[in-house]
Amino acid sequence: MIGRFLGSRGWRRFRRGRLAMASLAVIGVYFVAAVAVTLGAVSREDTKMRVGPNRLPGFLERINAEKRYDFNKWYVGELSGVFGRAQRAGDEAAAREMLGAFALAERRMSGAAPSELFPVYETMEKAWGELDDALAMREDLADERFVLRAEAAEQRASGADASATEARLREVEERLSEIRPRVEELYREVERAIEVLLPMPEGLRGLVYRLRIGLGTDSKGASISSQAVYSVKIAFQVGFVTALLAVLIGTILGASAAFFGGWVDHVVLWVVSTLSSIPYLVLMAVFVYVFQAPSLAKWFDNPDRPGLGLVPLYAAFGLTFWIGTCRVIRGEVMKIKELEYVQAATALGFGRFSILLRHIIPNTAHIMFINFSLLFIGAIKSEVILTFLGLGVKGQPSWGIMISHGADGVTNFFFWEVGAATVFMFVLVLAFNIVSDALQDAFDPKHV
Amino acid sequence: MALLEVRNLVKHFPVRGGLLNRVQGSVHAVNGVSFDIKRGETLGVVGESGCGKSTLGKTVIRLHEPTSGSIRLEGQDITSLGPREMMPFRRKMQIIFQDPYSSLNPRLTINGHIREAVRFHGVADAGSIDDCVDDILLKVGLRPEAKHKYPHEFSGGQRQRIGIARALSVRPELVVADEPVSALDVSIQAQVLNLLTDLKQEFGLTMMFISHDLKVIEHFCDRILVMYLGYVVEELHAEDLDEQARHPYTRALLGANPVDDPDERRPLTVLQGDVPSPYEPPSGCPFVTRCPLAMVRCRQEMPPLEPKEPDGHPAACWAVEPKSAPAD
Repeated sequence: MIGRFLGSRGWRRFRRGRLAMASLAVIGVYFVAAVAVTLGAVSREDTKMRVGPNRLPGFLERINAEKRYDFNKWYVGELSGVFGRAQRAGDEAAAREMLGAFALAERRMSGAAPSELFPVYETMEKAWGELDDALAMREDLADERFVLRAEAAEQRASGADASATEARLREVEERLSEIRPRVEELYREVERAIEVLLPMPEGLRGLVYRLRIGLGTDSKGASISSQAVYSVKIAFQVGFVTALLAVLIGTILGASAAFFGGWVDHVVLWVVSTLSSIPYLVLMAVFVYVFQAPSLAKWFDNPDRPGLGLVPLYAAFGLTFWIGTCRVIRGEVMKIKELEYVQAATALGFGRFSILLRHIIPNTAHIMFINFSLLFIGAIKSEVILTFLGLGVKGQPSWGIMISHGADGVTNFFFWEVGAATVFMFVLVLAFNIVSDALQDAFDPKHV
Repeated sequence: MALLEVRNLVKHFPVRGGLLNRVQGSVHAVNGVSFDIKRGETLGVVGESGCGKSTLGKTVIRLHEPTSGSIRLEGQDITSLGPREMMPFRRKMQIIFQDPYSSLNPRLTINGHIREAVRFHGVADAGSIDDCVDDILLKVGLRPEAKHKYPHEFSGGQRQRIGIARALSVRPELVVADEPVSALDVSIQAQVLNLLTDLKQEFGLTMMFISHDLKVIEHFCDRILVMYLGYVVEELHAEDLDEQARHPYTRALLGANPVDDPDERRPLTVLQGDVPSPYEPPSGCPFVTRCPLAMVRCRQEMPPLEPKEPDGHPAACWAVEPKSAPAD
C-alpha cells in the first residue's frame, strides 16, 4: 500500500515541489515533537514547574534596568525564604536537606556545605540591602537634581544670584556619578552570590535548562517553551483524531447517500443541509457545552481522568467537520457509480457492498486524503479558538490557553507567551496549508 | 431454440423534478423491441446517437431494469430475477464497453480485474487461477507479465483488450459489445475487430454488437437491427444490407456512408433536422419528422414491423410495399 503510494504519479508530482517538501519536513519535525511529548520528553509537570522569575523574557531580548531589579529581587526573595527556613531548622543536616530541596528545574542549589553557603547568602542579603539604599538614594538625588536645575534656570532668568544653587547642583551631580558605579558593583555582587548559590547547570542539564527558559516564562514563572512544545501534542491529538473521525463519518455517509440513493440520500442530505446552515463555531460550542452537563462532566471534565479531557473536543469537531467531506464524497461517488467499470462489476454479478468497497471507495481515496489534511489544520485552528474562549482544552497546556493567558502580558510589552503560541501554530498551519495545496494539485484526477 | 429471446422490451427512464420531486414524465429509451439471437450468431444493432441501442444492450443483460417485456436466456425468463437468482446468468452474459478509459478501475491491477471475476464465478479452481488469467491474457494478445500493471500504463487498444479479457474470462455464452471499437483509432479498430472475430470462433460466442458504424456492422455481423428513437425500424441479414434495405432511415444511413471510390458519384440523401427528443416522441411513425417519404398516414399511425417486398425481411414503414401473401 505505502510502496504503491510512493511509486504513484501523484506522489512523484508532489515530490517535485520544493516548498511542499520543505513544508512536509516541517510537519515531520512537529510530528517528532508530538511523539516525543507523548513518550514523556515534556511532561505535564514540566509545563507547570517554576523555572525562573515571572515573565522572564526569552532569547534576544536584553534585560533592562527595571527588569534587572525585579528579577534579582525575586531571586533574593526566594533565596532568603529558603535560607530563613534552613536557619530555623537548627541542625546542619536538616539545613542541608532543606537547601538541597530547592531547585528551579535543572538549576539546583549549590551542593556545597550549608556552612559555606550561609556566608554567601549573608553577603548577598547585605549587598541587596545596600543596593536598595543606594537605589533609593539615587532616586532622591535625581529628584533633587531636577528641582535644582529648574531653580537655577529660574534664578538665572530673573537675574538673581544662582551660584549657591549651582554649587549644590554640582555636588548632587558628583554624588550621583559616584552612586552609579556603586549600584553596578552591588548588582554584580548580588548576581555573583546568586550564581554561587544557584549555579547555572553545566553540560546537558545546562542545555535543557537553557531550552526551558529559552522562550521566557509566563506569569507564574513556568516555561513557555515547554508549554508550546507540549501543545504540539495536544494539537496533533486533536487534529488527527478529529480529522480521522470526520473523514470516516463523511465518507461512510456521503458514499452511502450517493450509492444507495432514495431515502438514505434524503436523510443524509437533510442532515448535511441543516448542520451546514449553522455557523460551525456555534455548532462546535454547542456540542462542547453538551459535554459540560453534570452527568457528562464528571467523566470528561475531571482531573482524575486527564485522558478523557479531550473527548468533548473530538466529539464536537468530529460531528461538525464531516459535513464538507460528506458533500464532496457524495458528489464523487455519484460520478463513479455510473462509470463503466462499476457496470462491469455489476454485470459480473458482484454484490452492491463489495462494489462499494472494492471499486468505489478506493477511488475516492485522493479526496479523503486531501480532506484529511485540510481538516487536520481546521481542527487545530478551531481548538485554539475554542480554548481561547474557555471552551476547549482544560487542565493541560494548549496554544489557545497560552494566548488567552498571555493576552494581558501583551499590554505590558511582554510578547513571549502569545508570540510563542502564535508562531508555533502559524508555522504548523502554514506548512499544512502548503502541503494540502500541493496534494490537491498532485492528486487531482483531472491532472492524472 | 434461440439463445436469447427478447419480446416487447420497454425501458423508460423516469424524469423527476418540481417542488416535490415527482415523476414528471419519462424518457422512452427502448419501446417494445423484440428479437432473437441464435447460438453462435452475431446480431448487429445500429442507429445514431441516442436511439437507445446501448440502453437496449444494457437492459438485455439486466444492467438496467426493464420497464416491461420479457428476456429469456436459454429458454428461461430472466426479466425479473432477483440478484441471487441472477447469479448463474450473470456469468453467461457479459459486456464489453465503449470507453476503454472508464471501463477499468484505476486502482486495480489487470490481475485484480480478471482474477476477481474468475474466482467469483469459480471458473478455475484455486490452484489454477493464475494460469487461467495468463491464458486469457495471451488469448487477447497481451503478455501475461503485464498483469501486474495498472490500467493507466496501457494504451487505449490494450485497455480494450483487457476489457475483452475480463468479459471472456468467465466463459460467457452471450457477449454484448457496446460500441467496442468506436473510441479507438482506425488502425486499432481493425486489430480489435480481428481479435473479436478470432475469439468468437474460439469460444463459440454469441454476440450482440452495438455500433453506429454501418461498415463495421456489415463486416462483423450476421443479422442487423436498425434502431431509431427506441424502435426497431428494420431487421435484415448483413449481406442484404446494401441491396435490400427498404426503410428510408436505413437508406439514409447507407447514403451517409463514405464510399472507397473517389470517382463514384451518387445522389446524397441527407437527413434534415435532429432526432426528436425521446422525452416527447412524435405521434405516429417516430421517423416522420425527418422522413423524405412521409405521408399523412405516417403522422397518425405507427407502422408495424412487418415483412416487406421483395425478400420478406421486416421493416416498419407505410411507404414500403408489404410482401404480399404467397400466391398458391
